[in-house]
Amino acid sequence: MMKQETTTEKPQKRKIKIGRPVGPWVTARKITQYVALAIFIGLFVISRQGVWAGNIVNIPMRLDPLLELGNTIASRTLVAGSVVALITVILTIVFGRAWCGWLCPLGTVLDLVPLKGWRGKRPAPSESWRRVKYVLLVIILMAALLGNLTLLFLDPLAIFFRTLSTAIWPALDQIVTAIETALYQIPVLGEPLSTFDMMLRPALLPSEPIFYRDTLLFASLFLGLLLLNIFAPRFWCRYLCPLGGLLGWISRVALFRREVGEDCKGCQLCMQACPTGTIDPARNYASDPAECTMCMDCLETCPRSFVSFTPHIALADDMPYDPDRRAVLISFGTAAAGVALFRSNLLAKREQPFLLRPPGARENNPDVVAMTRCTRCNECIRACPTSVLQPAVFDAGLEGLGSPILITRLGYCDYSCNACGQICPVQAIPPLSLEEKRLQVIGKAFIDESRCIAWSDHQPCVVCEEMCPLPKKAIQLEEKEVWGPDNVTVKVQLPHVLRDACIGCGICEYKCPVSGSAAIRVYIPQTEVPF
Amino acid sequence: MSKMSRRDFLRTVAAGIGAVTLSRFLAACSPSPAKPAATPLHPLATVTPTSPKEGSPSATDMATDSLPQPTSTVASIPDMVVARNGEPEALVRAALAALGGMELFVPKGANVLVKPNICVAYHTYEYAATTNPWVVGTLVKMCFEAGAASVKVCDYPFGGSPQEAYAISGIQDQVEANGGEMVYMSGFKYVATQIPNGIELKKTDVFSDVLDADVIIDVPVAKHHSAAILTLGMKNLMGVVRDRSAFHRNLGQRIADLSTLLKPKLTVVDAVRILMANGPTGGNLNDVKKLDTLIASADIVAADSYAATLFGKQPEEIPYIQAAAAMGLGRSDLNNLRIKEFSIGA
Repeated sequence: MMKQETTTEKPQKRKIKIGRPVGPWVTARKITQYVALAIFIGLFVISRQGVWAGNIVNIPMRLDPLLELGNTIASRTLVAGSVVALITVILTIVFGRAWCGWLCPLGTVLDLVPLKGWRGKRPAPSESWRRVKYVLLVIILMAALLGNLTLLFLDPLAIFFRTLSTAIWPALDQIVTAIETALYQIPVLGEPLSTFDMMLRPALLPSEPIFYRDTLLFASLFLGLLLLNIFAPRFWCRYLCPLGGLLGWISRVALFRREVGEDCKGCQLCMQACPTGTIDPARNYASDPAECTMCMDCLETCPRSFVSFTPHIALADDMPYDPDRRAVLISFGTAAAGVALFRSNLLAKREQPFLLRPPGARENNPDVVAMTRCTRCNECIRACPTSVLQPAVFDAGLEGLGSPILITRLGYCDYSCNACGQICPVQAIPPLSLEEKRLQVIGKAFIDESRCIAWSDHQPCVVCEEMCPLPKKAIQLEEKEVWGPDNVTVKVQLPHVLRDACIGCGICEYKCPVSGSAAIRVYIPQTEVPF
Repeated sequence: MSKMSRRDFLRTVAAGIGAVTLSRFLAACSPSPAKPAATPLHPLATVTPTSPKEGSPSATDMATDSLPQPTSTVASIPDMVVARNGEPEALVRAALAALGGMELFVPKGANVLVKPNICVAYHTYEYAATTNPWVVGTLVKMCFEAGAASVKVCDYPFGGSPQEAYAISGIQDQVEANGGEMVYMSGFKYVATQIPNGIELKKTDVFSDVLDADVIIDVPVAKHHSAAILTLGMKNLMGVVRDRSAFHRNLGQRIADLSTLLKPKLTVVDAVRILMANGPTGGNLNDVKKLDTLIASADIVAADSYAATLFGKQPEEIPYIQAAAAMGLGRSDLNNLRIKEFSIGA
């Protein structure tokens, strides 16, 4: 299919530039990569607006077979929407790891930041590193069998979108706002800036600044991942990516594979161009289909067109770095030990009072600390318009790493929004209708009377009551005569929470004017997990 | 295009920053502030019935609005109009006709800002948490009929996003159908503003489109509110300031202070439906009372005073009405006001 036929007797020499393969196949790949990246980012942006249905904007995640497989194993249920992942599986069976080379947004970003200059002549790490991704994959799937999905935190799509939601977009918003604020001081720019802003918000940027607790952490992790390119091009994809491991594994039977002609003179140009370093001079410049991302760089680099990609029906050769039985067994053991250790901590027994899960997630996950159905894809987090949903870091123990948690001081569950349940690709958050979500209890508000402006300062403040969105407010006011500051009695309205009515949306906590932590806080609905 | 060198790039950036700084400096030095502290007086303001009558509290800041120029036609214009029993559009048209026509409030070429109450994105207009969309839409239409150059409509909801709230309230549809523009109140467009006549509230950040408007039309929906007792015209203006938590202490006085800065030429209280309890958010139709009533006045204090009576309250019971009347911002003595009440009987 992709064979470059050479018609003259003497193979024609092509002009090539070392290290910079050019040609129609590379151009096609790059265009595909950029278009896919634009679509992925576009769907990310749209998902915050609620313009398109959740099951459209979450297609990138449903294309991810690792997430869907992990969820299916862990939850023992097959979510209908997960069949979309078969598209990627079929793509891989036909074209190998083309997903990695042509579509994956994280891979594209890693290609955009090659850091070649910093790498210099540094030799690539040992080939045995390639095993890490398979070991990670086996650990993830084994842990899923034991009901734990924590390490899906490392899924490349989840990493990409988590970084966009929690770091890049909020930072972009801050930068744009700062520039707008500065330029707005120039009188003539007022009108054009307003027009510009109306185009920008709410279409691309949020209308109110959004904040995430661990922006710096997630930004650093992403930066670290990019910096790994110093050690080898696409370090992440070669050695670490568990999705790459899964697709690599499937690629062992892939139809289209790289083939090197027998006349190859061993000029090594393809080897130098290969971003995954899988072209092995010891094996007559053959490559491992499980490592090859079908980027076509070698095809366009070969001066005499000896490289071709042709269909084969055969199993790929075993490689020394493929995990042996021993490595698989050790991975099994690691997963079992890890899950058992997670299960034996205090949090698993007693929870944490502020472990607020998205509406319905507490009821929909057999284990609310581990979030056994949640794939850590963070779709809910990017869909949440108020940024109350944030990835847990240590809030739910290591076990709950990356799972969504409500930080009700940074946002609130909007009474007119049910986006998180609609977008969740695996129904870890149930797809509640707006009417159902309005009745769904997330938590219960409690007033800290020692910090409350009305209770402790005897000053008029009923913000919590004003904000309460319920038709019959869950915060009621009691008018009381209390001792004022100058030994005279003053009348003050004291807020009380009607705990039976409260749904724990958290807008009271979000808007509480007390500085620092609020004087009204939302706790988990029950004080102890029933066993 | 030739490639820009690093040095040229830095130079350009430095020049840009310098230009911005210089323009800010010049703007600060210029004799007339870029942002007026209050809405400019429009030529027909003299006919607004807020002019202090005999016996009414007079205050220095009202003096500008009360150049004595009563004419025979003006004398027949009442201080306030209360229209009842009609469709929203008919109520607005009849009330404005009785007040002398929209032309008295909106001069040709004016930039108008209409401020409805769109406090949450939770419910449709039937729940009376947000202003009736047809009342807002008709006002927008009438502004253009009077020759307005532009009509902007905005509010900053505290629950839900502005785009949701604009849509769910139905106000966006009506405003845009009538040629008006819904504006999102982005953070960078707030301007730190002194309130020279404020007693407690001396300065606050105000949305600049409100400061820049030639005419403000305040269109609250009459609602229950536990802190303020009722939310009416003056309370509705709180929607254009950034820091609303600064208002908690002595809310009544601070709302009145804000009313010394922001002076709507016209206040139209939407009482088509009023929310009797669980305000300002609402959500229960049992709390809603359908009155098919509209109150219009150039005197925001008078309009609020009358609206209070719809809830069985006296104006004196509402702290901000009391504070505003004491400061001479308008009149709350309903018995002495010339009120034209009529029923359309549609």
